[in-house]
Amino acid sequence: MTLETILGVPIAKKARFPAMLATLAVAGCIQVRAPDKPIEINLNVKVQQEVVVRLQQDAKELIQNNPELFPQ
Amino acid sequence: MSRTHFLFGAVLVAGAVILAGGMISSRAFAQTPAVSAALADGSVGEQSDGYLGFNGTVSADVRSGVEAINIKRRAAYTDLAAKRGVTVADMAAATGCQTLASRVKQGQAYRIGGGAWQRKGAGPIPLPDYCATAN
Repeated sequence: MTLETILGVPIAKKARFPAMLATLAVAGCIQVRAPDKPIEINLNVKVQQEVVVRLQQDAKELIQNNPELFPQ
Repeated sequence: MSRTHFLFGAVLVAGAVILAGGMISSRAFAQTPAVSAALADGSVGEQSDGYLGFNGTVSADVRSGVEAINIKRRAAYTDLAAKRGVTVADMAAATGCQTLASRVKQGQAYRIGGGAWQRKGAGPIPLPDYCATAN
């Protein structure tokens, strides 16, 4: 449904696009409301994973550099 | 005390120090093959906590060798843990993942957590979840 059919009056071609936008804006009005609670983003998992990866690398080097501590 | 006596005493002390040093180093030297043999027969094994453990009774040589290794490991873990800002236990456990993943050979003993001693089969050792990124 266009504005022309609603209003029953022809609208200049140039004015059609902004007019359509106006229709859309009215029809699809999205309400953005601020959340009541603060947004929490949990980064603990990622940080922990990075620590594990880094420690594994340290461990590997420790074993390579001190074979006498890791006899086979 | 005359000068000669003093010199004689110094030589005696030096000799004793050299002798004692030799005994200590030969003892330390004897421990490593003993520990390797114990690892091979499974009376000693790697644990997920990053240290060697005893799977049954072992000789005094093996025991002191394993304890010496564990003390050195703990010192190394403590250094790295301080550098990375983690606990010594975390650093040790991360190393445990590596030893279980790549150091334990087929047929050797290993232990995860407080579980029972197991022997490594043909496949890789199933590691604890926190080792997900080992290798």
